[in-house]
Amino acid sequence: MAKNSVKEIQTTCCYCGTGCQLLFTVDQAANKILDVHPVWGRTNEGTACLKGWYGWDYLNDPQILTKRLREPMIRKNGRKSPLEVVSWDEAIKFVADNFKRIKEKWGPDSFLGAASARGPGNEAGYITQKFTRAVMGTNNIDHCARICHAASVAGSRQTIGEGAMSLSIPEIEDAEVIFNIGYNAAASHPIVARRIVKAKEKGAFIICADPRITETARISDLHLQLKGGSNVALVNSLANVIISEDLIDHEFVKAHTKGFDEFWEVVKEYTPEYAATITGLSAEDIRFTARKYASSKHSVILWGMGITQFSQGVETVKCCCSLAMLTGNFGRPSCGTGPVRGQNNVQGTCDMGDLPDVYPGYQSVTDPEIQAKFEKAWGVKLSNKAGIQLTRVPEFVIHEKDPAKRIHAYYITGEDPAQSDPDLEEIRETLDQVDFVVVQDIFWNKTAEHADAILPATAWGEHDGCYTSSDRGFQRIRKVLEGQGNILPDWEITCRIATAMGYPMHYNNTEEIWNEMIDLCPKFTGATYEKMERQGSVQWPCWDKGPGDKGTMFLHKDGRFATPDGIGILKTSPYHPPTEVENKEFPLALCTVREVGHYSVRTMTGNCRMLRNLEDEPGWVEMSPEDCAELGLREGEIVKVLSKRGSVYTRCKPTERVKPGAVYMTYQWWIGACNELTISSLDPSSRTPEYKYCAARVEKIKDQAWAKQEVAHIYEDIRSRMHIVKEEVLA
Amino acid sequence: MNSFIKANPIRCIGCRTCLISCVVAHEGKRIFEIDPDGYNFNPRLFMVKTARVSAPVHCRHCENPACKASCTSGAIFVKDNVVLVDTKKCIGCKNCVIACPFGAVEIVETAEVQNDGSPRKIANKCDLCVGVADSPSCVKVCPTEALALVTDGDLSQSVADKRRNAAAAAAV
Repeated sequence: MAKNSVKEIQTTCCYCGTGCQLLFTVDQAANKILDVHPVWGRTNEGTACLKGWYGWDYLNDPQILTKRLREPMIRKNGRKSPLEVVSWDEAIKFVADNFKRIKEKWGPDSFLGAASARGPGNEAGYITQKFTRAVMGTNNIDHCARICHAASVAGSRQTIGEGAMSLSIPEIEDAEVIFNIGYNAAASHPIVARRIVKAKEKGAFIICADPRITETARISDLHLQLKGGSNVALVNSLANVIISEDLIDHEFVKAHTKGFDEFWEVVKEYTPEYAATITGLSAEDIRFTARKYASSKHSVILWGMGITQFSQGVETVKCCCSLAMLTGNFGRPSCGTGPVRGQNNVQGTCDMGDLPDVYPGYQSVTDPEIQAKFEKAWGVKLSNKAGIQLTRVPEFVIHEKDPAKRIHAYYITGEDPAQSDPDLEEIRETLDQVDFVVVQDIFWNKTAEHADAILPATAWGEHDGCYTSSDRGFQRIRKVLEGQGNILPDWEITCRIATAMGYPMHYNNTEEIWNEMIDLCPKFTGATYEKMERQGSVQWPCWDKGPGDKGTMFLHKDGRFATPDGIGILKTSPYHPPTEVENKEFPLALCTVREVGHYSVRTMTGNCRMLRNLEDEPGWVEMSPEDCAELGLREGEIVKVLSKRGSVYTRCKPTERVKPGAVYMTYQWWIGACNELTISSLDPSSRTPEYKYCAARVEKIKDQAWAKQEVAHIYEDIRSRMHIVKEEVLA
Repeated sequence: MNSFIKANPIRCIGCRTCLISCVVAHEGKRIFEIDPDGYNFNPRLFMVKTARVSAPVHCRHCENPACKASCTSGAIFVKDNVVLVDTKKCIGCKNCVIACPFGAVEIVETAEVQNDGSPRKIANKCDLCVGVADSPSCVKVCPTEALALVTDGDLSQSVADKRRNAAAAAAV
C-alpha cells in the first residue's frame, strides 16, 4: 500500500437532515475506506449517531438486501420485454426518444419528474427541475417532501412566509421551554435529540405531545399523551388559553401580525374543556402547557411527521406558527418554529425548486417577473401553471378517464414510491399503467421492477456537491471513493438526456451548476462554494457573496416575516377527525413511525452490516401489553396485520409505551411493508398523505413454524427480485 | 476498586450506537469488509427500555463477583480491576448467567465449530474494552454522552459531594 495514497476527506453525512460532519480515511489507490469518525461541525459538534458511525459499507455493495445498479438497462421491446444491459448512449437515446414522443403526443403536462432528496445533492436537484421545466416544459416536478414536510412548507409559508426551521439546531439547547409535538428526535435525528437532552440539563422545561411514550416523552417534564389525530384540537386550545388568559405579547401581535379576529373566531370554541373531550387530555394539562409556553421569550416548538402526516397537517402547522406569533417567540435566538426535516437533503431539494409551484429559491412559477428571469437565463419559454404533486400521480393515471389529461411519463430519480408511498397496491397499479417509467438510482428497489429504463447513478460518497441541513445550512459533500461500474452522477445523466432531446446542458462540475443557481436565487446568492469551504456551513438567506455576509442563524429578525408585506398571518381551522377511524372490522389505529438505525426505504442501511444486524425483516408492530394479552400474543411472534387495503406479516412487540387501541409500524421493511396498509387520503392543500392514521387489525397466527417459513420464503423471493440470488434473471 | 460503566437514563435516547460499537471494537474493522454473515453480532451490553427508562445494562465488575464464584471451569477471573472471561476455559455452563444479579452475562455462539459440527458457545460480558480499544468503545461513541466509565476517583468524589450536600441540608 503506497503511503501517500491514504487521504483524509471530510464530508456531510448522507442520513437525516442534521448534517453531521464525518472524516473518512481512504486508501485512494485501493479505493477503500479505512476509517470513519465524526468531526466538529456546526450542528453535530464532533458527535454522530449509529448511521454516521457505521452506515457506510453499503458503498461496497455487500448484497445483503439488494444489489447496486451497475449498468444502464432498458426494455427494448416494450413493457413486458426483459431489461437488457445497453451502453449509456443507447440508454440515453431510448429515454430521450420516449420523453420526446410522449411530450409531442400528449403535451408537456403528461410528464412528471420526481427529484431525489437524498444522495445526489442540491446540484442534481437543480438540474432535475431545470430539465422538467426547460426541456419538458412543465412544472410537474416534486419530491418526497410531499410525503413528509410539505405540510410544514405550506403551513409556514401561509403564516410566516418561510417553510424552513426559523431557528437553527444549536439554538435548541438554549431554549427555556420546548414544546415538542409529533416529533421523535431520538429516532429521526439522534444528534438533534442530543440538543433536547442538553436543553433539559440546562434547565429547559420540556413538554412532549405524542400518543406514544417516545424518548423525548420519557424525559419530558410534562407528557401530553393525546389521542392520535387530535393535534389541531390541542394547538387550537393552547391558542384559546393564551388569548383568553391574556398571555399574549400585545406589542408583537399588533406590530407584526394580522388576522387576529378571524383566528379568534376559530379558536374561541376550543376551550380546554372542549379540547379535552377530543384529545383525551385533562383541561388542566392544556392550561398548564399554554401558560408555560407563553411564559418565556425562548419558547421553541419542534415538530415532525407526527403533525404533518395527517389530512389536517397544514392546519396544525399554521396554528403552531400562530402560537409562536401570539407569544412573540420569533426573531431572536432560541425561539420560534422547528419543522425538522427527515432525509439529508429534503430541505435542499425544496430549496432547489423541486416543487410544483416554485423555482429554486422559493420564487413563484406564477409570478411573470420571475418567469421572465428564468426564461432569459435558460433561453426557453416556461410554463406559468403550477404543476401537480407526486402524491396525485394515481389520480392522474388510474383515476383519470381522459387520456389527454393523464401522466404518461414518470422520471423517478433516487426515490422508491413503490415502497414509500401510501396504499402500495394502488401505486403498483399506477406504475404499471404509466406509459414510460424511468428509474435512476443506486440500488435495485421496488420501483425498479416497474421501470422501462434503469439508469445507474453514483452514490453519496462517490460524487461532489452540497446538501442543505434541516436548519438551512448549505454544506459540502465530497467524493470519498471512485464509483464502480458503468455509473454516472445524477446531474450528468439528466444533462445527457436534455442534450439528446435538443436542449444542450453541459457543466464541467457541480460548482458550475451551483454558480448558475445562486445567481438566479437572491436568498442563496452569497452561499458560494468558497464560503462553504471557509465557514463549513452557510445558512440561508445569504444575500451577498462578500465575506461580510456569513448567512442567517435565525429567521424573522425583529419580527419581520418573510411574507410579501413582512406581516405574519394568524391562521388555523376547526378540528376534524382522521379520514378512516377504527371500526368493528378494523378496531386498531395504525400509525407509521421511524426506526433509528434505518433510513428511508432501506436500500442503503439495509445493506450496511451493522445496521442490518440491529434490526432486520420483517420488522415489528408495537402494541400495548393489553391488546397483546387479548389476542394471546407474545413478543417476537409473527402476526398478520391487515387494513382495508392489504395485509403484511411482521413480529409483535408488546410495549408499555403504547396505549391500548393504537399500533405502530416502521415503514422501511420490505416484508412488513406497512404502506400496504396505509391510506392515500391527502391533506387538501399540501397533498401529504395521512400516514399517521388508518384502521387496522392484528391477527394471531397459530402455526408459528409455518409463519416463519412463509416470511423466509417471502424474503428470499424479494432478494431474488432484487438480483441477489439469481443474477441472470433481469425480467 | 474495579471500574464500571454507568448509564445516565436522562441522557440515553435508546439509539443503540453503543451496541454496535461494542461489536466493532471486539471484531475489528475487518467486519465492514467480510462476508455479511461471516461474523457474530454479540454486543456485551444490553439495551433496556421500559415505559420510563432507556438505558444499556453493562457488567458492574463487582468486587466479589457472583459470576466468578459460580464459574465451574475457572474461566472468570479479575485482572487489573476488570472482571474477565477466559474464553478458552469457558465451557458454557451458564452458572454465571444465573448468578449475575444484573443480567449482564449471556451465552453466545462463537465462530468456532465443535467436533459435532455445532458452534461453540461461551459466556459473553463487558470487558471494558481491555486490549481492544483505547477507551470503552461505547463511552466514546455515545452521541448524548450518556455513558461514563466510573473509576475509584470518580466514585470517591461523587460520594464526597453527596455527603457535603447531605451535611448542608442537615444544617438548614
